[in-house]
Amino acid sequence: MTAPLIELADAGKQYTKFEDAPMLVTAALRFRARTTRSTLWAVRHVNFAVAPGECVGVIGRNGSGKSTLLQMLAGVTAPTEGRVTVRGKVAPLISVGVGFHPELTGRENVYVNAAILGLSRREVDERFDEIVDFADIGPFIDTPVKFYSSGMFVRLGFAVAINVDPSVLLIDEILAVGDMAFQMKCFDKMTEIRNSGATVVVVSHNLNAIRRMCDRTMVLHFGEQRFTGSTSDAVSLFHQMMGETRDLDEDDDDEAGFGRGVAKVESWALVDAQGVEHAYAEPGDELTFVAEVSFAAAMKDPVFAFSITSERGAVVYGEGSYDHRPGTFEAGDRTSVRIHLTQELATGSYKAQIGVVDRELDETVAAGTPIHFYAHGRNMVRGLIDLGGAFAVTDAPKRP
Amino acid sequence: MSSSAARLLPSAQGFDLTATPPPTRLLVRDVWRSRSLILVLARKDFFVRYRRTSFGLLWAVFLPLLQATILTIVFGKILKSRAPDYGVYVFSGMVPWSFFASTLGQGSTAIVDNTTLSNRIYFPRAVLPLIPVVSNLFSVVITLGILVVMCVGFGVSLGPRVVFLLAGVVLVALLSAAFALVFSALHVYFRDIRFMVSAALTVWLYVTPVIFRVQQLPHFMRGIIRANPMTGVVELFRFATVGASPGWITSLVITAAWIVILSLIALRLHRRFDRLFADRI
Repeated sequence: MTAPLIELADAGKQYTKFEDAPMLVTAALRFRARTTRSTLWAVRHVNFAVAPGECVGVIGRNGSGKSTLLQMLAGVTAPTEGRVTVRGKVAPLISVGVGFHPELTGRENVYVNAAILGLSRREVDERFDEIVDFADIGPFIDTPVKFYSSGMFVRLGFAVAINVDPSVLLIDEILAVGDMAFQMKCFDKMTEIRNSGATVVVVSHNLNAIRRMCDRTMVLHFGEQRFTGSTSDAVSLFHQMMGETRDLDEDDDDEAGFGRGVAKVESWALVDAQGVEHAYAEPGDELTFVAEVSFAAAMKDPVFAFSITSERGAVVYGEGSYDHRPGTFEAGDRTSVRIHLTQELATGSYKAQIGVVDRELDETVAAGTPIHFYAHGRNMVRGLIDLGGAFAVTDAPKRP
Repeated sequence: MSSSAARLLPSAQGFDLTATPPPTRLLVRDVWRSRSLILVLARKDFFVRYRRTSFGLLWAVFLPLLQATILTIVFGKILKSRAPDYGVYVFSGMVPWSFFASTLGQGSTAIVDNTTLSNRIYFPRAVLPLIPVVSNLFSVVITLGILVVMCVGFGVSLGPRVVFLLAGVVLVALLSAAFALVFSALHVYFRDIRFMVSAALTVWLYVTPVIFRVQQLPHFMRGIIRANPMTGVVELFRFATVGASPGWITSLVITAAWIVILSLIALRLHRRFDRLFADRI
């Protein structure tokens, strides 16, 4: 086994927050302590190793310490405790086009930027055509970059960073860059980089991208490493945490009460027509939810209760599968539940929940982690549900 | 997968970070390995200044030429100073002084001014204040040329001593680098440094024998002038051209002492804070 390219051993970073600007003059006039300062651990006790060829995701809410982690991996800031080891060349895509000078041409900027990323002039000469080709900016390479469109600017920056043959590629909020074709090219290039034995670390809010690219994912929560493991586990934990923090002020009704443990919701997701998981729905998308339920004890004709709640807690829709009598499940059996909605939601954030209800006891025995999702409905529709109103307005009478 | 040339550069070799700063030896090595980066960024700095101007690089020649011409007219024709080469005397002091003042002005704030670079990609932060040192070397080549022409014009006989101009350039570059390294590190934590440096430079010019001779000063002032590290630099430029004033060797030794002490301070500061600057920018 080769040595990991990235190793974090109990790494932590503490920042000092200055509540007051440390101005000597004001402090002297006030005759008191110069500054009020407090400290804050941006991340702490992170343990982590990434092998060559691995792609690892980092997810977490804003302020969970993702950026600090990236800065440590880029070598820009040293940990306050623990150890951060990176073997080989780091190319941070933390911000593409860093150091681009508007007055310089694309060509000149490529040389400067590549030098910053650690390439010698000769090495840039060797890759120059490849970079220009990748950025797909053709004749504009000899135009000052201040005349570039924002797309061209970012593409060129990305092309440089990705072509410096990094051992470790750090990507922050990937690929809000360029059109679909360019994004595909980037994904291909990243795969190529990984196959050559390099490591990619992706920090993103885009869970679908994380799911598509990363073998493993770390979940950060208020600077704490909550989880590192399979991406799907990480994503569901993340959803769960999002629910947790949102539900803090709601009274937490733990729906699984008496009889708990008889059944378990193994997975629970919002999917599109192809069965791919999503956290949002586009206009015209029909919403489908899929749950996998396992049974730990025999259960006769379980009822699956489904509900959608609005962001403010109003129940938009709720129904149980009382009409279905699927028969008796034995311990170890599994079943899948599919709920297809025929009406569309109006634009907004919603929470979907599923529960397994014991028909005889009328008691919820299992509940899935609430799914938070965003529905993008038809424009101009207000409210919660799009009832699909069709307007008929009689024209104003024609006047001579 | 990377060639041996790339492996030399600090960003290409990985790192091992803890709360304890790495040894000074590594910092010095990494700065040395960043020399091509310094050169690339310095060249960019220098040439970008004249981009999109109609006269381009001519400005780099014209501005110091104008200064030299005015000095010639003022001291040669208007003031009719006793020493006919007084214009050369002043200009030979102006060459290192302008270098020092502009390098210090840009270098002292370099780490904070380059936030986009210093926050995202690692290379030793000491690289940033060194960039103006190198970019100003490009312009000093031009001013040195003008100085030599001026010497010939004023009938100052240039002996083999003229090669000491190069030693002078090296000396002023070292001194500026040492000051810029120290100030740029302090500036991250004390933003007042920016204004303190420009205030200091205003006063500094008048305690450096650029437009006057040391001998013209009252005795009590001479101590200050001698302690000033720029005196040694200016005197070396004079030695190479119009001739140095007595006691200039002492000034030179004092300048060297400043460089050594400042460099030691700079090393300590940059070793300690190199990877902590980003937290405060």
